Amino acid sequence: MTKKIFSFIAVTVLLVLTSIYAATTGSIQMSFTDFITNFFNSDNADMAAIKDLRFPRIIVAIFAGAALSVAGVLLQAILRNPLADAGFIGISAGAAFTKLFIVSFVPTLFFFTPLAAFIGGALACFFVFLLSWKSGLNPLKLILVGIAINAMFSGLTEAMISFGASATGSITSNLSLKTWDDVSLIVTYGSIGLLLAFILYASCNVLVLSDKTAKSVGFNVTGARIFIATVAVLLAASSVVVAGVISFVGILVPHIARRLVGYDHKVLIPFTALLGAFIILLADTLGRTLFSPMEVPASTIMAIIGGPFLIFLLRKE
Amino acid sequence: MEIKQVVVSHDGTTRHLNAVSTAIPKGKVTTIIGPNGCGKSTLLSVMSRNNKPLEGHATLENRDLLEYKPKEFAKKLAIVYQQNDIPADLTVEKLVMYGRMPHTSLFKKRAEEDEEAVTWALTCTNLLEKRHNDLSALSGGERQRVWIAMALAQKSEILCLDEPTTYLDIYYQLELLELVKQLNEQYGLTIVMVLHDINQAIRYSDHIILMKAGKIIAEGEPRDVITKEVIKEVYGVNSVFHEDEQLGLYMMPLSI
Repeated sequence: MTKKIFSFIAVTVLLVLTSIYAATTGSIQMSFTDFITNFFNSDNADMAAIKDLRFPRIIVAIFAGAALSVAGVLLQAILRNPLADAGFIGISAGAAFTKLFIVSFVPTLFFFTPLAAFIGGALACFFVFLLSWKSGLNPLKLILVGIAINAMFSGLTEAMISFGASATGSITSNLSLKTWDDVSLIVTYGSIGLLLAFILYASCNVLVLSDKTAKSVGFNVTGARIFIATVAVLLAASSVVVAGVISFVGILVPHIARRLVGYDHKVLIPFTALLGAFIILLADTLGRTLFSPMEVPASTIMAIIGGPFLIFLLRKE
Repeated sequence: MEIKQVVVSHDGTTRHLNAVSTAIPKGKVTTIIGPNGCGKSTLLSVMSRNNKPLEGHATLENRDLLEYKPKEFAKKLAIVYQQNDIPADLTVEKLVMYGRMPHTSLFKKRAEEDEEAVTWALTCTNLLEKRHNDLSALSGGERQRVWIAMALAQKSEILCLDEPTTYLDIYYQLELLELVKQLNEQYGLTIVMVLHDINQAIRYSDHIILMKAGKIIAEGEPRDVITKEVIKEVYGVNSVFHEDEQLGLYMMPLSI
């Protein structure tokens, strides 16, 4: 019990510290005391710039990290597969594809991009389910099907870019130049998704049992799967719309979270959200400050860490 | 429960159950036996709604099984499978608590009734002392009993067991069958199980359903169903039957 509480406190503190560091470091530098004293001072030009430029970026990073990590936990629960990740099995790629499609070809429907991304993600998720259902959701087959779906949607997206679609910030993840509009978008949809995920913990716990056993205690397995998958797609799509595709978070974060707080989804889901928020904010902040003025996107950092981590996981199994 | 003219096919061509009709006597121990691939587990899966009949229907209390809502059905019938994944990081008590799901809803918290049912299920299965242990720390026999405890917590009238003794050594086999007998005698549970061992079936059942190639060959009291001729016909094995004061009726396979 103490380990769980300690983990929650430690990650919360780290998240707050990283947020302050991210807000005060960069081309405009500000000391911690200046930051605190000027926080509510609207006349300070530096503070105004930080609020306009860095705050949205920090908030987007926090929500994208939380959303993608929780989407990972949910997918892992319904697919009974520790390697499921929205980025890996094509959900993010599907969302990115439909988003780009709307932005480039029917820009008048710009308002509906979140919906389009959601449909694209849901489509990819549906294909993965459909094609690996017959093998009884065999873990290996599922990942292979996911990789194929992912390749297909990524390929379509790249093809569209070579035909001249506007690629600004859509295919690779980019957390720079975020506005308060982006913030309101990801906060709205992200919060709905996260809230639903927190509520769904009991269903996730039951799905850990085999389908037959879950059914025998009167649990509606198919219904729960579809609903949880919808929430996972909502979370993934809302983060793709604003922050682009970031892979590996959905595997990496839940895995570490299980080590720290155990397998009960009641604790695991909130903790994963917190840890995911911290890790993406850290990755983005390091990518922005380490090699300044050069910037390394958070998704690149996640891929560099995530690749070896995945090999480590596979070797352990 | 009544099964009427049920046809089941897993692939759409072979009839794994071919117009099977039978009735499960209430408050009795019924055992389904037969050679590999005869359809005994399929018959059990029709009763537990895991297979939908192509033709015919199964009814419980004069209602088609498929008409029951999931939770409603789970209050009537519970099933234990022969092999189960062991979830990580779960205690005996927490797993058995899942058996209470048919009796709870989203807004109803763990009530006293649930606690009592879980304690009863753990007492029956002799797991009370292990209630806070992690599942991974249990022996094979104990694990099988945990799944039975979960089914018992459902407080259903019918308990189905699919080859419950297959992966257990003889000590745990006997322990399990004695538990089944006790549940039937003390609490009046209707038991339906699939067994491989003919002598265990004779010894522990009130009613035997003998199957071959998707059909029921014979059913009734053990002594009437299991005879030298039937064993030859169904299994293709010559056997010797013996009546012993201590053992009752038992069979020894002789040759093929």
